[in-house]
Amino acid sequence: MKNLLKKFFDDTRPLFTADGKYKKYEPVWDATKTFFFVPSAKTRVMPFVRDHLDLKRYMSIVILALLPVTFFGIYNVGYQASIGTGETLSMAKCFLTGAWYVLPMIIVSYVVGFAWEFLFAVVRRHNISEGFLVTGLLLPLTLPPTIPLWQVALGISFGVVIGKEVFGGTGRNILNPALTGRAFLFFSYPVAMSGDVWVAGKHLVDGVTGATALSVTGAGEQSITAALSNAGYSLGQLFTGFVPGSVGETSALCCLIGAAILMVTRIANYRVIIGGIAGLVITSVLVYLIPGGQDTWSNAGPLYHLCAGGFLFGISFMATDPVSAPGTNPGRWIFGAAIGFLTVIIRVGNPAFMEGVMLAILFMNVFAPLLDHLVLKYKSSKRIPNV
Amino acid sequence: MKTLKIFRGFDLNVPEEPDLSCVPLALPPSLGCCAGDIPHIRPKLLIKEGLRVKTGQPLFTDKRDTTIQYVSPGTGRVEKVVYGHRRRLMEVVIATESEDEYVEYDPVTLEGIVAMPRNALVTNLKNGGLWQGLRQFPALDVADPDHSPAMIIVAMDGNDLFSPHPAIILKGNIAAFEAGMAVLRRFSHQLAVVCRESRLKGIREIGSSVADQITHTAPDIYPAWQPGAVLYQIKQQAAENSSWCIRLDHLVMMGRFLLSGRYPVDKIVTITRPGDRRPHMLGRQGMPLSVLAAQMHGQTIATTGRFNGRILEKDAHIGFFENTVNIIEAGPGEEMFGFARLGLDKPTLSSTFLSSLFRRPAKMDCTLHGEVRACINCSYCERICPNGLMPSFIMKALHADDLEDALALGLMDCCKCGLCSFACPSKIELTQILSDAMDGYYKDK
Repeated sequence: MKNLLKKFFDDTRPLFTADGKYKKYEPVWDATKTFFFVPSAKTRVMPFVRDHLDLKRYMSIVILALLPVTFFGIYNVGYQASIGTGETLSMAKCFLTGAWYVLPMIIVSYVVGFAWEFLFAVVRRHNISEGFLVTGLLLPLTLPPTIPLWQVALGISFGVVIGKEVFGGTGRNILNPALTGRAFLFFSYPVAMSGDVWVAGKHLVDGVTGATALSVTGAGEQSITAALSNAGYSLGQLFTGFVPGSVGETSALCCLIGAAILMVTRIANYRVIIGGIAGLVITSVLVYLIPGGQDTWSNAGPLYHLCAGGFLFGISFMATDPVSAPGTNPGRWIFGAAIGFLTVIIRVGNPAFMEGVMLAILFMNVFAPLLDHLVLKYKSSKRIPNV
Repeated sequence: MKTLKIFRGFDLNVPEEPDLSCVPLALPPSLGCCAGDIPHIRPKLLIKEGLRVKTGQPLFTDKRDTTIQYVSPGTGRVEKVVYGHRRRLMEVVIATESEDEYVEYDPVTLEGIVAMPRNALVTNLKNGGLWQGLRQFPALDVADPDHSPAMIIVAMDGNDLFSPHPAIILKGNIAAFEAGMAVLRRFSHQLAVVCRESRLKGIREIGSSVADQITHTAPDIYPAWQPGAVLYQIKQQAAENSSWCIRLDHLVMMGRFLLSGRYPVDKIVTITRPGDRRPHMLGRQGMPLSVLAAQMHGQTIATTGRFNGRILEKDAHIGFFENTVNIIEAGPGEEMFGFARLGLDKPTLSSTFLSSLFRRPAKMDCTLHGEVRACINCSYCERICPNGLMPSFIMKALHADDLEDALALGLMDCCKCGLCSFACPSKIELTQILSDAMDGYYKDK
């Protein structure tokens, strides 16, 4: 198998390199080849030994960290559909049903996204960066399972082209591409994206809908926590994730597993995640202490804020995107904390956009270069000048 | 004695440490005086092919300062002059005669060194071809004798993980070491003598008088013991940016030259090869690589420092500034699904392969392990830089042609250790970019 593949790439090499017939499509050939074989060119300049970590391994670890939320998301979609139809499905059946909804989304996202990546790589004559492997999986995980597939295609196109390629491609984008795509869908097609998120069962029985946890409010005397558990969102359920919502974001537990993988392998910077959680907890406690608003999210307390909605998903997988986050350590602390702070403020103060974390991250993405600038300026002032 | 606190750097378990025994080598058929390893030099040839030269006779000089001379490491006929890219002089090769005939100078005693006028001392060392052992920060050019350095750093250890053990260089050379230190004291009041923690015991055994002069010990994390990293750790003010540094073997050579009046031709060299422990070798200045490493496979490369040396061609000779040869193999070739392997056999400073859980012997090879990509701001370069720089930000400032910004971020504090390029997952040649910018800035200044 290995020799066969090697022979295939050796045979096709002349077609795609130098004066080959398909020279234009070298990036496509290169991306396919490097998927199978780690390029191992000899070092020409010092240092002559290099670390084994490359960008493909780097992004593979992120994919690995996303697997728990992906598999749980698929299962949960099936499980929620079974509630919708009133059937009790076996675990395998739940999984299959879920896969029926989710896999097409993932496939569409990858196919359409890669088409754009290839197009830009061919026109710009550069190799394809591995960053898209993550973007292509992140976007469908932030979408509700009932979204029309053409919207997925539109979202990933917007994310890749406007979110990334117009800035020059991976490494040069200001905003997180997956989140940019999601924001585009969120504002363009609000009906499909928010409020009545859970309608997977709709195809099977009429009118089974539900609201996401974040859109629940208590009525009058009823406190928010009571209202949440009445609506089927107890803290335990929110933590394990057996609730309706976007594919990947419902389970706080799986997000935490992913965050742990990213932090242990040091692929994600722990400062962003810890800073974000700290910012969210502190802000939600402060908001809790302000009297009034018994029936709104201002009174929900830190645990509900942590587990409900997409905060943990966002802070673990979106905010830690190294390109759009600050590149300095103090900057990362501030960046994370500000996302936590803004998430609570948006949830509490602006009921029109319940999901605060998306806007909080995009907002802070814009400020990341400024944070870096300030940190660098401060650090430079502390150096013994050497000019 | 102070202990330097340097935590960032390379500390994988590389099992190639040379044995502490020392084997003398026979006189090789050819010796070379190398120009390829000398920073900033613009060489001007002083001899012609076919001419017979004595040991210690100048072969080429530096157009920028013709009083600096590079002298012949042996006696014999000039066999050939080797030019490299753009007709840059690479080396002058001498076909050796069995007996050395030296260019003789008047020997100086230790008291003489102290009493001698400073100018005479400089001229003496320049004639002997040894002044260039003293280098001046930040560009590590030849020290300017008119400058009074705030500090002189004496590096007991070399540029590689496994450069010769200082105790072996010092063996029988204690008097020369003292003479060399006396020379340095003529130029600066502050001498920082630095050695690796693990080397201290050996030095103490060879001579407590040497060990007593050591002012700093550096942890065994590459490149903590290198002058650039040491200077960054101990400097207190901007005046120290133009300090000088010298390596132990050059210091000993200076001492031996002054005491004997002859060019010291001995050189201790180490050879490292994966899975092999070779003894130290006592040979000559300008030895050919072929004497040191007889057999090399097609894909194998030989370098004079795995992180910050240069590649040696098969017929090359070891330069004045080099005393380590690393034989680095090419590795297993293109691996299938390399990105998805557990990686017990993949040494890494990240935590993305299982090898990071164990301190197993790391087998290093000379391949990139990936392809060049855009910088993704991951900060691996910052995490490993011993001098607290942020190489990715400096690189971006340089790409934007903003030299002022790069300088403010500490470009000239870079010690060219090579670790940022080593660690970069996007395989960007950070060290080269920074190093070229430093040299360019220095040249323009």
